[in-house]
Amino acid sequence: MKTRFVIAICMVLASLSINASIPAYADRGEEGEEEYMPPANDPLYKEECSSCHFLYLPGFLPARSWQAIVKNNDKHFGENLALDAETASRISSYLTANSAERSGSEWSGKILRSAGSGTPARITEVPWILKEHRKISKETFKRPSIGSFSNCGACHPNGALGDFEKASVPK
Amino acid sequence: MKSAISLTAALVFFTIFSGRAFSQMGPDIQALLDSYKKSAGVSEFSAAEGKKFFNSRRVHSVNKEERSCSACHTVDPTKQGKTPVGKVIEPMAPSVNKERFTDPKKVEKWFKRNCEYVLERECTPREKGDFITYMFSI
Repeated sequence: MKTRFVIAICMVLASLSINASIPAYADRGEEGEEEYMPPANDPLYKEECSSCHFLYLPGFLPARSWQAIVKNNDKHFGENLALDAETASRISSYLTANSAERSGSEWSGKILRSAGSGTPARITEVPWILKEHRKISKETFKRPSIGSFSNCGACHPNGALGDFEKASVPK
Repeated sequence: MKSAISLTAALVFFTIFSGRAFSQMGPDIQALLDSYKKSAGVSEFSAAEGKKFFNSRRVHSVNKEERSCSACHTVDPTKQGKTPVGKVIEPMAPSVNKERFTDPKKVEKWFKRNCEYVLERECTPREKGDFITYMFSI
């Protein structure tokens, strides 16, 4: 009797651990696209591009936008990033290879469709992203706990991992 | 019991010792400072001048905003700061952040980026030397 009970407990625990190993963001969207975005995993990109701001996922922008941003890195929203030619070229290649066209994410598809033939100069100009945040006021983005619309991680704690479903606006 | 005491003593000693070691300047940064001294034609840098530099404010000619090192890093380099878009900046002072001022290439990169952001020009070797000396003094 006791042995049976122990086996039952083990089975319950085993099934729990199987469930726990399925990532929360693995929900498949339409046409096999996934409703999450692959995280940025390139060490050079992380090093050069996430000290000042959120580590934006390459799937956020079309390749043409990334290429323009890296090319104009001497005038990067008021800053001169002074990337040397090799660093710039490696970062541009990484972003191009993982851009919205290639991320396989449903969100990237929406970003691309909303951008049309345009070349968004920044993520916060992408029409679909603006639409998704239309209920958040300008004043809310200015809260010290958030800083700006560009600071994704303030409200999306798992954003850097590719999960933007979860959102809580800090006070 | 005796061994427990000696283990504790060893741990305490290690903590104090390693804490000191972390805020000591490595040979690469020492060499960088020496090269600044040579270029600036000075024999010593001043932590007091570095502090003044760190806190001095300047209005940017295009953006018309008041900018300074301390605007983002805060007036206390042992504390966390924040970038203009709200991302946390880890403390600058090597006494609390052992990763700071360990790689000369990185140090030069950030001087280049941030001097231009605040001063609209590169920093002079003297300014950089005073700045690093101030950071190691706190």
